[in-house]
Amino acid sequence: MSHQLTRPSRFALEDFARLTGAHPELLKRFVALGLLEATTDGSGELWFVPSQLSRVARIQRLRAGLDLNYAALGLVMDLLDRIAVLEAERRRFVRRGARTWT
Amino acid sequence: MPSRDFYTTLGVSRDASADEIQKAYRRLARKYHPDVNKDPDAEERFKQVSEAYDALSDPQQRKRYDAFGEDFRRVPPDVDPDTYARSRAGRAGGGGRTREPTWDTGASQFDAEGIDLDDLLGGMFGGRTRRGWGRIPGSDQEVELELTVEEAYRGGNRKLTVRGPTGADRTIDVKIPAGVVNGQRIRLGAQGGQGTGGAPAGDLYLVVRIADHPRCRVSGRDLTVDLPLAVWEGALGASVSIETPGGDATVKVPKASSSGRRLRLKGRGLPNPRGTPGDLYAEVRLMVPPRLTREEKRLFEELAGTSKFDPRRRA
Repeated sequence: MSHQLTRPSRFALEDFARLTGAHPELLKRFVALGLLEATTDGSGELWFVPSQLSRVARIQRLRAGLDLNYAALGLVMDLLDRIAVLEAERRRFVRRGARTWT
Repeated sequence: MPSRDFYTTLGVSRDASADEIQKAYRRLARKYHPDVNKDPDAEERFKQVSEAYDALSDPQQRKRYDAFGEDFRRVPPDVDPDTYARSRAGRAGGGGRTREPTWDTGASQFDAEGIDLDDLLGGMFGGRTRRGWGRIPGSDQEVELELTVEEAYRGGNRKLTVRGPTGADRTIDVKIPAGVVNGQRIRLGAQGGQGTGGAPAGDLYLVVRIADHPRCRVSGRDLTVDLPLAVWEGALGASVSIETPGGDATVKVPKASSSGRRLRLKGRGLPNPRGTPGDLYAEVRLMVPPRLTREEKRLFEELAGTSKFDPRRRA
């Protein structure tokens, strides 16, 4: 008998669907559209890592709040991610550059 | 608390066309969507804007809102607006409005008359809720946390006031670990945007910004402080005491130290919870007495006459 001591490192499609409350077919479509990342094992089964959970929530929020379709969501999320990276970089850069002798 | 008037919320006039209302809503929704705007205030604004648009986008509801004002959802559908206005004027002053319609918080609350508003609103919001917002976890939020160099060095507890998802300020006790650096994010689990339909809330991230310090500059974990020295101290070497965030330290200045020389005090920078701490650099600044005494002037003149040193000569 085995006990699960750590968080599972990946979820099967059904578990992932249960956790996110989304239909498995919808999640498959997300993967096909490149909105979610999943790995496929030898038998064609999809596997999701836990970090994708928050991504599903983000897809759902953006879709519900802004009436975006799923194809557009891919673009929006990519751009938001890029903005986040740029802002983080700018934060680091500005702090260093703007420092003056006082 | 901003005005609860739906037209003000959307920033349109009362006679705005349906197109204008839609336009205003789209613009504001894009601006305040919790995934686009990480500010904790944004979520509340987004909800208000959505609520306003929900009411005003439906011609029938809009008509009722215009007639009955903020209470329009509590007025039975067959009430004539004029009768309502008269009856309300009659009991003016009594029974003030105690709560706003909730936006799918799932909380069951009773208003002054003992009517469960969620029963009444359930049908109204239900359609939208099921179509749009089901059980969705909340978004992550970010706020900037400004720390002094000393706080970053020592860590400690800080009370932080954040605009909560319901619009009320809430205070969070934050434990700042020792040795945070600029741009580092401190995660506060489940303190971010509210989830809908009982789903978990998002996380709140505090982005650390170390405030400018008059004598100390931060770069990563390394600190740089100025070390003012008299010219002869720089020339002959000295042992001087300097203030650091971790207390006083003694620096040995080697002889022939010019301005700009950086003396490293290993491990006296910001501590690192995982690994080696940063270093502290004391940057030499040679100072000349602002006013020379006669004796000092004579000695400098003697030095000027004796020395062959020319700092501007090209090597």
